[in-house]
Amino acid sequence: MIRQMIMRNVMFRPVRTFITVIAVAVEVTLILMVVGLTSGMLSDTAKRIEGIGADIMVQPPSASIFMALSGAPMPIEIGQRLAQLKYVRTVAPVLLQFNSTNSLDLIYGIDPESFREVSGGFVFHEGHELQNPDDILVDDWYAKGRKVKVGDTLHVLGHDFHIAAIVEHGKGARLFVLMSTLQELAGAHDKASVFFVKCNQPEQTEKVMSAISGLLPHYEVRPLRDYLSLMTSSNLPGLQTVIRSMITMAAAIGFLVILLSMYTTIIERTREIGVLKSLGASRAYIVRVILSETTAMCVAGIVFGIAMSFGARALFLAVFPTLTILIAPWWIVRAAALAILGGWLGATYPAWIASRKDPVEALAYE
Amino acid sequence: MSDTVHSGIDICDHDAREYSAETLVSAGETLEPILKSTNLWKIYQVGRVEVAALRGVDLEIFPGDFVSIMGPSGCGKSTLLHVIGGLARATRGKVLLDGNDLASMGDGSRTLLRRHKVGFVFQRFNLLPTLDARGNIALAQHIHGDGFDPHRFEVVTRMLGISDRLQHRPSELSGGEQQRVALARAIINEPKIVLADEPTGNLDTKNSENVLGFLRQLNKDLGQTIVMITHNPEAAAYGNRVLHMRDGIVVDGASAN
Repeated sequence: MIRQMIMRNVMFRPVRTFITVIAVAVEVTLILMVVGLTSGMLSDTAKRIEGIGADIMVQPPSASIFMALSGAPMPIEIGQRLAQLKYVRTVAPVLLQFNSTNSLDLIYGIDPESFREVSGGFVFHEGHELQNPDDILVDDWYAKGRKVKVGDTLHVLGHDFHIAAIVEHGKGARLFVLMSTLQELAGAHDKASVFFVKCNQPEQTEKVMSAISGLLPHYEVRPLRDYLSLMTSSNLPGLQTVIRSMITMAAAIGFLVILLSMYTTIIERTREIGVLKSLGASRAYIVRVILSETTAMCVAGIVFGIAMSFGARALFLAVFPTLTILIAPWWIVRAAALAILGGWLGATYPAWIASRKDPVEALAYE
Repeated sequence: MSDTVHSGIDICDHDAREYSAETLVSAGETLEPILKSTNLWKIYQVGRVEVAALRGVDLEIFPGDFVSIMGPSGCGKSTLLHVIGGLARATRGKVLLDGNDLASMGDGSRTLLRRHKVGFVFQRFNLLPTLDARGNIALAQHIHGDGFDPHRFEVVTRMLGISDRLQHRPSELSGGEQQRVALARAIINEPKIVLADEPTGNLDTKNSENVLGFLRQLNKDLGQTIVMITHNPEAAAYGNRVLHMRDGIVVDGASAN
């Protein structure tokens, strides 16, 4: 009976129901998109770093695992000392630089030979290796997203580069230039941001890491096999706060809309509440009716929100093909739980007011 | 007695437990009044002024009575109905409804008592606009807690002549039909007493006669105890006893012989 009454109430006021459902859907979509974008980008970055194929990554003391956040403070000669360690097959120094011309892109300055030895080399879709100082390699996702092709000029870091090749994605960055060129542009002569170390025998990685730590005390020495698990928002200072803030804002939208919606509906239905009380409905019964109605609208909003999230993801990916958006089942559950919880919290006060209405006054309400 | 309602029957209702209900006291078959008020006062606080709507009402209603209460506007008729029906609490005095003292009961116990012993009929019908006629009647059964009783439902709706109107919402029913649905809702749980507040106040003459006829039929055929408030002497004449109120008291006919 309560289910029938709730469904009739919800259908009886279609505009109010529609607005409430949309608000909850926006809340769910916001949560899923914010988390999906951040976790997608982190996961994508991690996979690309892992895709380099190195066993160990060496960074300067106190460097972030988010390599782009670190500068280029390490002398390039460190690489030669690392290469002399037992079980080390090869060392590839990489200089990292963020490009903010036209867009935000991470650029790897590489020594083609050592980078090939560590990573196994690029898979070329089209074009050739880095040869000239102005050559740049772009990966296939970047080329598709920016609609560029071999031979085009690419303006990054305030410099015009010539696209020498389009390569398969998954080797750390989406843009690669010669290390010497990037050192010149960044004013970081003979410096590197990170060393990727490849071992002769992967099972000796721990020993090599110990040796590196002995050689370079306080330097950050990390195995790349753990990299994916380290790339979480909680390891990036401030990101977790941003995500929490966005989620709180999204939940606040749902809470406030439900509060307003249910409050106005309680006022509008004052006489109905008086009728329920005259029939002997208890306070608990009235609270249950209000909360059940809220739950019904929240569930509709959640379903709509999940659909909207997948739609938004498809739209984003169509416009920005290089993006990765992860809509994880666990976060769908969490977003749904947040929406329901926010809805209940928003409906609690109106439900409490309704349950405490004086039946005589409620029946006299015009 | 505070928040405890006494019952002569087992209450199998889920909400009843929250008021720690025990058993209802039932009045004797016919000798005891089903409703008795003694020196009943109801005073409203309007700003800093106290307004006495009831000023010591003494009243006895017996099982099977059909009592009409008449009086000018503002004499306290509706207030009396609200107090004896447990919708409002008396300021002073005593109201015994089927042996339960309403005046000393809390909100929860009065709610329980309304659910099990009282059926209300209002001037403005007060049907839920979102539910159809069937839903409005079934809602009372649902709140009562015994579940949907199809046999009782069939008997009541057929008796009131609304069997073929059950799929319609209130907005699709005439005033007379709406009031008959409201009447069905009031009696569907076999209350000890039906309290009707100007049940024909919003109806034309023909529909008024219909509704009053049904009330009389309920009283005569089923022995339903009814208290009806009305301005209309012709409507009042349908009852077997007429009381007159003035200035918050019953001026005549308060006790039946």
